[in-house]
Amino acid sequence: MSIEPVSLEVIRNALTAIAEEMSMVVMRAARSPLLREAGDHSSALTDSEGFLVAQGADVPVHLGVLSFTVREFLKRVPADRMEPGDVWIVNLPEIGGNHLPDVKLIRPIFREGELYAFAVSLAHWADVGGAMPGSYFAAARDAWQEGLRLPPTRLVAADRFDAEKLDLILANVRGPEERKGDILAQVAATTVAGRRLDELAAKHGVAWMKEAMQAIHARAERQMAEAIRAIPNGVYRGEDWMDDDGHGGAPVPIRVTVTIEDETATFDFSESADSVPGPINTTRFIAGAAVFYVMRALYGPDIQPSGGCYRPINVVTRPGSIVDAAYDRPVVGGNHETCQRLADAIFRAFEPIAASELSGGGPTTAGLLIFGTRTATGWSTFYEVHPGGEGARFDRDGMASTRVHLANVMNTPAEVIENEYPITVEFQRLRRGSGGAGRHKGGEGIARGYRMRGDETALTTMFERAVVPPYGIDGGEPGATFRATLHRADGDEVKLRGKQNIQIARGDLVVIESSGGGGHGHSSGDAR
Amino acid sequence: MEVGSEMRVGGWRLGIDIGGTFTDVIAISSDGTAPRSAKVPSRPQEPVRAIVDAISAVGLSWDEVAEIVHGTTIVTNDIVEHRFRPCALIATAGFSDTIEIARGARRHLYRMDLLPRPHPLVPAELRFEVEERLTAQGDVATALTDAEIARVVGEVAASGVDTVAVCLLHSFRNPVHEMRLGAALRAELPHVSLSHEVSPEFREFERMNTTVLNAMMMSKIKHHLSLIDQRKPGHSRLHLMHSASGMASPALIAERPLMLAMSGPAAGVAASSQAAQRLGIDHAITFDMGGTTTDVCLIVNGRAEIAANRELGEQRIRMPMVAVDSIGAGGGSIARLISGALVVGPESAGAEPGPACYGKGGDLPTVSDADLILGYLNPSRTLGGSVVLDRAAAEGAVKPLAESMGVSVRRAAAGIAKVVHSNMARALRRATVEHGRDIRDFGIVAFGGAGPMHVAEVARLCGISRVTIPAFSSGFSALGCVEATMSYSRQTSIGMKSTAWDACVLGKAVAAETDALSAAMIDAGHEKQSLNVSITAGVRYSGQSYETPILHPALDDRERLNRQFEQAHEALYGYSTGEPWELASLRVEVLAPRKDAHEAPVIENDEAEATMELGSRQVTFESGTTFDVLVRHRRRLPIGVAIEGPLVVEDEWSTVVVPPGDRVTADNNGNLMMEVAL
Repeated sequence: MSIEPVSLEVIRNALTAIAEEMSMVVMRAARSPLLREAGDHSSALTDSEGFLVAQGADVPVHLGVLSFTVREFLKRVPADRMEPGDVWIVNLPEIGGNHLPDVKLIRPIFREGELYAFAVSLAHWADVGGAMPGSYFAAARDAWQEGLRLPPTRLVAADRFDAEKLDLILANVRGPEERKGDILAQVAATTVAGRRLDELAAKHGVAWMKEAMQAIHARAERQMAEAIRAIPNGVYRGEDWMDDDGHGGAPVPIRVTVTIEDETATFDFSESADSVPGPINTTRFIAGAAVFYVMRALYGPDIQPSGGCYRPINVVTRPGSIVDAAYDRPVVGGNHETCQRLADAIFRAFEPIAASELSGGGPTTAGLLIFGTRTATGWSTFYEVHPGGEGARFDRDGMASTRVHLANVMNTPAEVIENEYPITVEFQRLRRGSGGAGRHKGGEGIARGYRMRGDETALTTMFERAVVPPYGIDGGEPGATFRATLHRADGDEVKLRGKQNIQIARGDLVVIESSGGGGHGHSSGDAR
Repeated sequence: MEVGSEMRVGGWRLGIDIGGTFTDVIAISSDGTAPRSAKVPSRPQEPVRAIVDAISAVGLSWDEVAEIVHGTTIVTNDIVEHRFRPCALIATAGFSDTIEIARGARRHLYRMDLLPRPHPLVPAELRFEVEERLTAQGDVATALTDAEIARVVGEVAASGVDTVAVCLLHSFRNPVHEMRLGAALRAELPHVSLSHEVSPEFREFERMNTTVLNAMMMSKIKHHLSLIDQRKPGHSRLHLMHSASGMASPALIAERPLMLAMSGPAAGVAASSQAAQRLGIDHAITFDMGGTTTDVCLIVNGRAEIAANRELGEQRIRMPMVAVDSIGAGGGSIARLISGALVVGPESAGAEPGPACYGKGGDLPTVSDADLILGYLNPSRTLGGSVVLDRAAAEGAVKPLAESMGVSVRRAAAGIAKVVHSNMARALRRATVEHGRDIRDFGIVAFGGAGPMHVAEVARLCGISRVTIPAFSSGFSALGCVEATMSYSRQTSIGMKSTAWDACVLGKAVAAETDALSAAMIDAGHEKQSLNVSITAGVRYSGQSYETPILHPALDDRERLNRQFEQAHEALYGYSTGEPWELASLRVEVLAPRKDAHEAPVIENDEAEATMELGSRQVTFESGTTFDVLVRHRRRLPIGVAIEGPLVVEDEWSTVVVPPGDRVTADNNGNLMMEVAL
């Protein structure tokens, strides 16, 4: 390899700086609350074949997905159809994606007629059309109910928006002004990336840049191979369960068989359940994201995300299963519910060899509530995730009120909610006693109460761990399950399901109680 | 009170910056006597002793001192080292656990072994709730009764703590409940901190955590101030350098000690912005490279960028502070070969054992070791008299790395320097981007022990040609103190939509903030008419989270403000939409101009000996080429003459490395101007 250690680090720094700058542009300029308070977006640069070389803001699930987006995109749109100044838009889950609200803007980067890189901006749009405000339709039975489906579409040509295509998109989403702001921010991020890459290429030459990108892949491949080599050879099986099929019924299994052989690892999810009727199916790209997350968290926190780090890894999924559903299946919740269960299953597979590295089960669910209230000017959509108790570890208790693994979106302050939405937050407190017992205790979940001040509100729930609790490790007890209750203004009390759409009214109180963490070790065991 | 004392003739004014290791002092006199500077060891256990030592180190007695402006790391260190005094918290019923619920996020994405975030500052048994509630508009929904006040005050007093923080929902809109509760608490307890006073902005967790931190620092700071008060003569005045790069009175600091959280870095930034202004540099990036970190901050149009919140020692603090970004790379950063890439930092050899070349047992290769091998550091010089550099140890530490890279020790050292430069260039770029600025519009002001050694290559990577190494660059924070002006600023949430504009309400809000901030200055003897008020509005389109800052907003003219906003947004993001927007916040800064404004302290250059050299040494530059390079004394450079690199310029405390092709010019104020070839 002709790129020596110093140049490799220097170019890695330079490319990462570009991706970071993209993320800052999106965060500062975007309009969705999800992008602003929560940072639910990611940026990446890839080589000319779509293999990741640098990433900006770190949302693990996005990063995993972005490793595939441009490669799948290139299968649909051959490189010879692209021109300098293009920006393409795509959100189809089957094209290196996850769910419709995560919209990707892709800019091919040229120098002297040669395409040598792509800049990608992914952002979670607060609405992408479909049956319900917020584009989470709990009762969905097919993909079209979930919103606007965008195949790869050239939205910007010669750095000018195609006005009709933009109008077509905006006509099919709620909050068109806000969405337009998101699109402008995402395009601006790719524009900045193009300019910066051009400066680098002018300095080093395209040939050297391409070589450097290959060196980055080679390094990540080596890092991943080293991480795998640290795991004893063998076959490990793990499973965890989804609460139901998305519409009810019995728990649904997620299973993985991990085969470690020297410097290669195979993660086979074939024995997971068949795809389900409800919106918790997911794509094989999400499976790749979960695998990458677990490998990094357990064996190599410093592994550079890059196309190369997937080379020593085989991710096997069975077409038609919940992990690799046909394109017509609903998937919106799979992105954060099934995705986290995949990680849980892999962690559990490693329990026999890594119990002291594992945390007890945590809130591996978004704990999502969406309140869509009709106002004089349209829909006011409040999208909120809820943290729960972290699982305990061999050397410490779990922490209260935390997001774990592939998720890390922040909560929205009560003072923001009350100022911007017709909702009063009656209380937010720890759910004491929800953490699982053990030599070390799981962290506590939280309880929050939302009182409706608007006349007509459509409530959507999307949470797991309401039936199958967060697991304990090494004899620790499981944490308390997720629970959401509707207290009608007239005194009726309704237990809400994990995936439900329900109309609620002024004066109604919705109380959500998030899961506690799993304990670690027998509580009867030696004292701390 | 002390009106007119600033006019005193013959009194000395001292800037004293008490850092972690050294205390820097600079003394200037209004009668034309040459300025004096010195360095003395800091005494973490006896900070007042460091002040006394500093005064004698510049040959003065406290009686000759008219004023001291003092920067301190007392608060910074307590936060970073988790020294927190027990503190009770009173919150709106249903919300006291907010201190523990926080924002739900974790800090380290891929590190399950680490705590997701620090433990809550207030344990459950010290959290108290009161029945009261305001609406988001600030109207009283549930009134706070006297009986309820009496109950909770009694409970807090019975808990045995002497420190309490109060954070009620929406109190920044209407402080009535906090004020009544505060009055009752202050009758019972010595240290009371109210959230609407400390951080009058929305987002309850951030306001609560900030208020608690402030309360926790009150006792210690009051004690520190009283010790100084016992020692200092009555005519000698004291001010403290606060985080937003101005000075504050001891009376205000006693109530808002958290204003000192970034006192040290703020002093350095203040000095940089003064230097930049004097040298006619509009936009500058400060570059302060120390042992474990490098601090950078933007100066835009001569003013340091102020951030509304910052993280310090894992605690998020929401107060106006200089927008300093700390990069985990400094002289002590360790270089390692990881999977074929040469990685430098963030691990640091710290002060103990320190870099291998310090000869205190460190054996891992660091940036300072590379500096010594490359000839940047003077091998025969002692840093502050305490450390003799050990070249053999440095080479021994770098050798294994060089062998695994298959290159010479010198070549490996050049590689370490090159990587650290690229780390820093990335951080500088991030700092400018974060503020929506183009890095090529900036110059760099470099100071700190190692800053001037590395700045040229960092500047080149950033596309910046104009670099300044200001006078006193090693005792720069003390200079910032001595030149500080008194200024107070505070940010407050407004939330006024352009579609529901009420200039009258805005006028009242500005007047109220201005009065609140001016009060302490008027108490300190300034006349109200003499105060400068500057306003920065934070404006955003509905839905945006980041506000676009507008300096001097046209608050009385919505159309003009609209144009100001659209222009600024266009400049930042390349577009504006013509949609309705919201005036989210106002930051009011009140500044008392110095009555004794003076020229920059002048350092005499000895032109007669201008040719004097300190010899020469072998220096290797980033390109890998080695030159026999002249070493010249900083105060013996000819004035106004551009000297071409390669060159090394030294004084007792710092080394300036001028690579081949770059040029350096000294002015008669002791500043060095470097022109970096791009």
